[in-house]
Amino acid sequence: MKTKQRILIVEDERNIASFISTILIANQYEVLIGMSASDALMKITSQCPDLILLDLGLPDADGMNIIKSVREWSHTPIIVVSARERERDKVAALDMGADDYVTKPFGTSELLARVRAALRHAENSQGSAAGLTATGIFECGALVIDFDKRRITVGGQEAHLTQIEFKLVALLARYPGRVLTYDYLITHIWGPHVKGDNQILRVNMANIRRKLEENPAQPKYLLTEMGVGYRMADMDPGMEEPS
Amino acid sequence: MPLKRREWFSFSLRDTLVTLLLLLGASLLCFLLQIENATDSYAFMVFLLAVFLISRFTYGYFYGTCSAFISVLATNFFFTYPYRNFNFTLPGYPLTVLCMLAVAMIMGAVTSRVKQAEQTRLDVEKERTRGNLLRAVSHDLRTPLTSILGASSAIIENDGVLSREERLKLLSEVKEDAEWLIRMVENLLTVTRMDVSASVKLHKEPEAVEELLADTLQKFGKRFPDWAVRVTIPGELLLVPMDAMLIEQVLINLLENGVLHAKGATLLAVSVHLGPGQAVFEVMDNGAGIPPERLETLFQGVSSRDEMEPGDQHRNMGIGLSVCAAIIQAHHGTLTARNNPAGGATFQFTLPLEVSP
Repeated sequence: MKTKQRILIVEDERNIASFISTILIANQYEVLIGMSASDALMKITSQCPDLILLDLGLPDADGMNIIKSVREWSHTPIIVVSARERERDKVAALDMGADDYVTKPFGTSELLARVRAALRHAENSQGSAAGLTATGIFECGALVIDFDKRRITVGGQEAHLTQIEFKLVALLARYPGRVLTYDYLITHIWGPHVKGDNQILRVNMANIRRKLEENPAQPKYLLTEMGVGYRMADMDPGMEEPS
Repeated sequence: MPLKRREWFSFSLRDTLVTLLLLLGASLLCFLLQIENATDSYAFMVFLLAVFLISRFTYGYFYGTCSAFISVLATNFFFTYPYRNFNFTLPGYPLTVLCMLAVAMIMGAVTSRVKQAEQTRLDVEKERTRGNLLRAVSHDLRTPLTSILGASSAIIENDGVLSREERLKLLSEVKEDAEWLIRMVENLLTVTRMDVSASVKLHKEPEAVEELLADTLQKFGKRFPDWAVRVTIPGELLLVPMDAMLIEQVLINLLENGVLHAKGATLLAVSVHLGPGQAVFEVMDNGAGIPPERLETLFQGVSSRDEMEPGDQHRNMGIGLSVCAAIIQAHHGTLTARNNPAGGATFQFTLPLEVSP
């Protein structure tokens, strides 16, 4: 029997923790609950969960401190749960080391998709060598990316991307289903000194969308997370819709 | 209520300009009169008038009092014998000074009272609007809450009796009501943000219109998966300065209104095109259109009891639209509604391409 993956829910609202845990258990995960930052940190160190669902609005501490602490010694995937207005908090959390986010109120399918994607990426990065470049073929719907040959085709037609554009798509495709912040993308493509100006990223993304998407305003593959970053649609066969 | 101490000395560019202008005007007039005739008696009156006007049109006591002193000195030096010289031993001189000062003080106090009354009137107006809003909201919140309570109780209390379909139907209604409540709360939160000050502090950044639409439609699609929305954007990348979260809210409110209130609508469409110095957004439906008598007051939200027709549209779309209006206004854009010749309604809003300071 396959060992269940263990998820720690750090949430002080009882009803929310309850429905999340119900859903996760129903989907074959093992669940732990921490109701405060100190409780959470204790459980993280003693029980080593495979994934942490962290509510940013905890009473006794800033969720950011938990992220910082955990990141000092572990790559355990962290998904932050935050309220709608706190966009800057989300971005800060992601840049601090969180892997993804869900905004309250959220539907369970969205949560499950994020959890699956995060766990999958954690597995992959443990398996592969510490290579920063992806290899092989990535498929999502009609989009096919061949990392080795550096070719992208949509529905069989080859798309002609510039070097930068290819790098961007390749980076996003390395983490399908997971959001990558503007800062992360800019730093990894242009280097750490171009911060503060998203324009160059936006222009490149717009050009890419025009080359790959049928309708740039209703993208199937390169999804926008306003104020946060971009996300490559998940090829997870369990989803009805790329999320 | 008399001015508070710190208000005695309030400085502003406008007030300084007003003061200087009036004093110069008075001086000019006196100089002209001097050419004609000796101004010994005129000068005092002209400057008294100047002091009166300055105290009336500036805020606080500072400008009025200052100009009183300046006026006294000016009349003495320039316009009374001996000319171009000070003479403080003129008969009745202390009385002159006192007169000017008194005028300045009294007018200063009158002006502040007028301003205070105006402020109070605005505050009362604001309170009344807020009162109406709260009333409308409470009314609107009760309905979905009633149905949520009812449906969930029905499921719990009739556990063995309900069929699976019946249960799922009730539960999906609960979900629908909860989703509607979420939108309402989001609109309310925006209203409170707008309320804090007349000039809302928006977090404006240049955003790509296509990304805004993509994100908006993604969110809309999660809630209304059965509705296809036709999207039209310009071929070129269009960046518009805006507070993305708020504009997204406008779009979602308009789309949701199309779904919930456009009778008989089967299609929704969103389009963006470039206008002169602005981006023009349109949300269209092919429903029954808006009754012409409502077009006038559509965006004023809930200003009077009579607007809330009992029974009809218990989900008041007024709040959503007034939030849209407030957001667009804060962006210095325009929001209008019209009925399409072919049927249905179009809501159009514009956003300036240049950020105005």
